[in-house]
Amino acid sequence: MDNAPILNVAALRAKVADEDLEILKGVDLTIKPGEIHAIMGPNGSGKSTLAKVIAGHPAYEPTGGSVYFGGEDLLDMEPDERAQAGVFMAFQYPVEIPGVSIANFLRTALRARLEEDEELDLFDFQELLMDRMELLEMDPSFAQRPVNDGFSGGEKKRNEILQMAVLKPSLAVMDETDSGLDIDALKIVANGVNTLKRESPGKSVLLITHYQRILNHISPDVVHVMVDGRIVESGGPEVALELEARGYEEYRKAHAA
Amino acid sequence: MSQAAAVHKRTAPVIGRAAVVETATTDPPWLRARRDEAWSIYQATPMPSTRSEEWRYTDLARKLRLDELVVADGDRGPGAGAGTVLPDALRQTMDQDRDGAGRIVEVDGKVVSVELDESLARQGVELASLRDAARQGDGDIQRLLATEAVPASDGKFPALNAALWSDGVFLRIPRGVHVERPIRLSRWVSRPGNATFTRILIVAETSSRLSFVEEILSPDFDRTTLVNSAVEVFARGGAQVQYVSLQRLGHGGFYLANQRTLAERDSTLDTLNVALGGSVGRVDLNARLLGPGANSDMLGLYFGDTEQHFDFNTSQDHVSPSAHSDLLYKGALDGSARGVFRGIIRVHEGAQGTDAYQTNRNLILSDDAIATSLPNLEIEADDVRCSHGATVGQLDAEALFYLMSRGLTRGKAERLVVLGFLGEVLARLPMGGVVEKVTNAIVAKLRNV
Repeated sequence: MDNAPILNVAALRAKVADEDLEILKGVDLTIKPGEIHAIMGPNGSGKSTLAKVIAGHPAYEPTGGSVYFGGEDLLDMEPDERAQAGVFMAFQYPVEIPGVSIANFLRTALRARLEEDEELDLFDFQELLMDRMELLEMDPSFAQRPVNDGFSGGEKKRNEILQMAVLKPSLAVMDETDSGLDIDALKIVANGVNTLKRESPGKSVLLITHYQRILNHISPDVVHVMVDGRIVESGGPEVALELEARGYEEYRKAHAA
Repeated sequence: MSQAAAVHKRTAPVIGRAAVVETATTDPPWLRARRDEAWSIYQATPMPSTRSEEWRYTDLARKLRLDELVVADGDRGPGAGAGTVLPDALRQTMDQDRDGAGRIVEVDGKVVSVELDESLARQGVELASLRDAARQGDGDIQRLLATEAVPASDGKFPALNAALWSDGVFLRIPRGVHVERPIRLSRWVSRPGNATFTRILIVAETSSRLSFVEEILSPDFDRTTLVNSAVEVFARGGAQVQYVSLQRLGHGGFYLANQRTLAERDSTLDTLNVALGGSVGRVDLNARLLGPGANSDMLGLYFGDTEQHFDFNTSQDHVSPSAHSDLLYKGALDGSARGVFRGIIRVHEGAQGTDAYQTNRNLILSDDAIATSLPNLEIEADDVRCSHGATVGQLDAEALFYLMSRGLTRGKAERLVVLGFLGEVLARLPMGGVVEKVTNAIVAKLRNV
């Protein structure tokens, strides 16, 4: 049972909700507890769409196949139910929520995970938040700022990592968290993920990325290549290096043929 | 029995000359004369209609039948109302208030109790029933009541209020006295179909400091119940004044307020209007900047649901050069609520070096809610910095998904976004107790959504 997958995506198809535009054309992906998977692919290959369909973004509509998380049918669940079950997506473009502090937001998110008759102990929460911020080498004043409001790109991504560290999901999907980051910010994000992995080796990570460079800082167990809505190759870290050397063109041609 | 009924009838007249005469029975001659004059102006002034720009979106002819209202018999002579048992709802909200420097309680248009810190009284701070103070012949009242700030000539309702006001608050802070904790007015209206007319007159002398918080509550009514108030605030040179109004009437409440603030040289006169209750609320606020260095922050927050209708008509009059005013009104509208904001910045001739800003933002939570925003500028000087802006937006689907992806239900996510949106106004004037009370009232309304 230990080896039962945490995520099982089978023949998944999905389209843009308001249009007749199919983006995922039969995706198969199995992630076991403790594994780090990376999905690489060119722009428009559908890798971000896969992340969003797993999280339940309303802009996309699954049209076939299945996504199981543990034993649960994710596609049947609302986004908040998926989060409560243990799925977390770090956004490529985190949203600004003016007037709501990070601390208030996280407190509300943790409260949402409690049973109706349970109360969140505010001292415990404060302790957890401070502990997580220390772990990620963040200034405590950060938690008092309104969520992503006026944040730099790097601050937004750090905020995503902080939320992940507080909510402790069993599966973290990083949707191009590395894009648009300078090398320092990239290292901070990578350190965050690595620190959490060290702390809880059983947690699984799905890294969606366009670039190979983040894989210099986070070591994946499995690397997948996605082209035109399908996973066309899977293997060890060597796949990423090969890709770096040869580019996506070859895969694209091979796939088109 | 028939005698009691006759007495009741005599003390509860409809809006008319007889009501003015009766209300004025115990008044000094100057006040009686002022009421008479106000009544003449009222009669000579047509009812505001939707043909006028300022009333275009609030149709009084349809929403308010003045002839069906009974004038609240607030005045029962000096000292009347002492020992009145306060209703639970009023008690509860008073208990939530933090420590204050004084409190005046008004029930159905009559002040029933006045408390003021002894040390402040010794320093000359005066907090009193406006009616009692007027009867005692205070010179400031005779000079300032309905003359400079909200005179009868301002319009139909200012005139009606000046003729029929039953009681209210007189507050004067002597030169240089700092009142560090807020002075509160807690108001309760209980009688369906009544029309209550009250006034507030605040005089903050040179270099004094004051925060004043007014809160009005009522039960739900089965028919239109009018609450009309005139608020006059004078900040003399260098004074620092905050005026806060929380409107939490029940269903059926029809709230009409005329507020004017006069800020002299180097004074700060900030206001916050919060509208949460009632069926119709209309606030006319005019801030006058009368001396160089005068500053007014004007804040407003409204949250309407069901068929609530809120209308704010604001103006920033820069009479003096080198003054500053900054307005921010934010509203959320659900159900088939309607929000109207009409604001104007007037920079008078010669008011060089004016800094004046005006922002109105609305968040629409349902398909049937409507927000109308009409910002305006009228500039007759050339060296000024002015800006205005208005937005009407809906809940951002991406923001809701973001919050839900962290485990919040749709309802909780919406609540957080709305609270954050409106909370920005409260953060600008973080007065003890007010923020919590308003936040709780908003949360309670959001639960009903």
